[in-house]
Amino acid sequence: MVSAVVLSSILASLITTLADLNDRLLLGINGLAGRSWLFDSTVAFFRDNDLAKAGVIGCCFLAAWYGGKTTNGTTTRRKILIVGLIAAVCVIATTKVLSHTIFLPRPEIQSRKIYRLEGDQLVEMKRMPVRVPLDETSQKEYRALVNGDVETNDLGSFPSDHAGFFIAISLGIWLASRRLGLIALGWTILVILMGKMIGAQHTPLDIAAGAGVAIAEVTIIQYALRKRFSSWLDKLAGLTLSYSALSSALVFAVAFEVSSTMIHVRAFLGLLAAMRRHVLLGMS
Amino acid sequence: MKRSNSMRLISTWIIACALVFLTSCKVQKEGLVVMTDESYKAVLFANNNKIKFGSPDGIVWHKGKLYFADEGGVALESWTKQDGLKTLIDSRFGTESPEDLVIDSQDNIFFTDDDAGGLWEFTANGTPRLVAGKDKGLISTEGIALAPDGSLLVGDGEQHEVFRVTRDGQVSEFLGKEYGITKPESMVFDDRGNLYIADNEDDVLYLLDGEKKLHRVVDRKDSFSPETIFYAKGSLYITDSHNNKLYVYTPNEELKTIAAFGGQLKNVQGVTLDDQGNIYLSIQTDLKRKVGAIIEISKENSEIAKK
Repeated sequence: MVSAVVLSSILASLITTLADLNDRLLLGINGLAGRSWLFDSTVAFFRDNDLAKAGVIGCCFLAAWYGGKTTNGTTTRRKILIVGLIAAVCVIATTKVLSHTIFLPRPEIQSRKIYRLEGDQLVEMKRMPVRVPLDETSQKEYRALVNGDVETNDLGSFPSDHAGFFIAISLGIWLASRRLGLIALGWTILVILMGKMIGAQHTPLDIAAGAGVAIAEVTIIQYALRKRFSSWLDKLAGLTLSYSALSSALVFAVAFEVSSTMIHVRAFLGLLAAMRRHVLLGMS
Repeated sequence: MKRSNSMRLISTWIIACALVFLTSCKVQKEGLVVMTDESYKAVLFANNNKIKFGSPDGIVWHKGKLYFADEGGVALESWTKQDGLKTLIDSRFGTESPEDLVIDSQDNIFFTDDDAGGLWEFTANGTPRLVAGKDKGLISTEGIALAPDGSLLVGDGEQHEVFRVTRDGQVSEFLGKEYGITKPESMVFDDRGNLYIADNEDDVLYLLDGEKKLHRVVDRKDSFSPETIFYAKGSLYITDSHNNKLYVYTPNEELKTIAAFGGQLKNVQGVTLDDQGNIYLSIQTDLKRKVGAIIEISKENSEIAKK
């Protein structure tokens, strides 16, 4: 009984310390914003422009795909990269499900007055005094927020799907090629994710959770698929060598989608869902 | 072999941690209210623990009593702090899905039912009755408004029309299909006799003027879908269950968002105001499991003091 009380109090103080640390880290990183238009616009460019943001990751992926020195080396790399892609899709599915389940708004939204349901009452949340970047897009979004335009997506920022997706892809590249993987991981952390925190779109906790999901799922899926479906992967990797023209075209499409955070695939899935509603369920 | 066992152990540990996290955080029960107009505050007025209702849709404050068209509980109910919850009509009388309600100055309560259809009444002396049913052409009744001449206007979502129903049950067409209203989900008169109509299928807020001309007042398909409308003191209060928001619309001014909702509070349905100007919203968290809540949104004390 005593040990349970001690353990729970230690856990409670640990959670408080972590939450405190999370807030301080965010405010420290976000403190860079709102001081220079040039700096904020540069950060926003790399945060919002798909080519600048994820093009580097796509290039690393292609370089790893074609970079094997021997046929065996290329096959091994391609197996790892194929599994990495499967893991990335699983990671984005997991982060999306979690962010729709855990309602933790983006820090920029937390700068507003928010009530959270706790038991039988609504409790006002602590406000996050974040700085608003001076670039045009951030200013426009902030004005929209002040006018009450809150996107549903902005109410669930935990965990970060950007962190999950790009770390999963970068880990796949790192497993295939250490040097290219380090470039991809470095770009993901220092450019993509740092930009998200400077712009107060994610807290370090969101990023850490997204990264945690990515590391866990990449580890499990790499292990499970390469153990259980090794022969299938061998065949698939062999086919990419036999039909190199076709596989190159497909890999280009994949790298393109990686560079655009799968936005086109998501739009296509949305269209399929709408078709299902309208055609199969007969809704007008 | 050793490596395989340790990987299995790690995988099991990760999955177990994830499950413990998801269950211990009670993430399914989270809900948020973002006050985009910071002069307001939000309070959970009632949930299924505080008042034993099902999952209300339409709500109305009338003479100190809160009335519920309880869609989840399949009943018409009233509530006061002193007397608690009282069931006025339930499924035994034939209602299936009470939708929206109005109360006249003589305390007669009228409500619609989108599954059973028809217009229903609970009279001031406590008698329930079906004013006009499916046999008179009211197939799936949605919005309801009390006309200045004492008759009732009832919107039908399946026939895409608005009907006029007299107190003795005579039904006539008020707005036919030619007006192009797909689902008259909610209706209310303003103090000038104009009728506001919320169409939550075409996502348009209409205004029908005294000359029976229909105007599109708010038409922003991508970000606006009016669910319930309530007119009070020169302003129209609008809930939006698709975009999870509460708006206020004042003629000749921009549509303003008061609050946005998330999690288990996101499905905002009915809206009403009490005599003090406090806004009450019904939330349908889970209609099938009869989980619902009422949120009160009121001005901060400083604002009231200023007034």
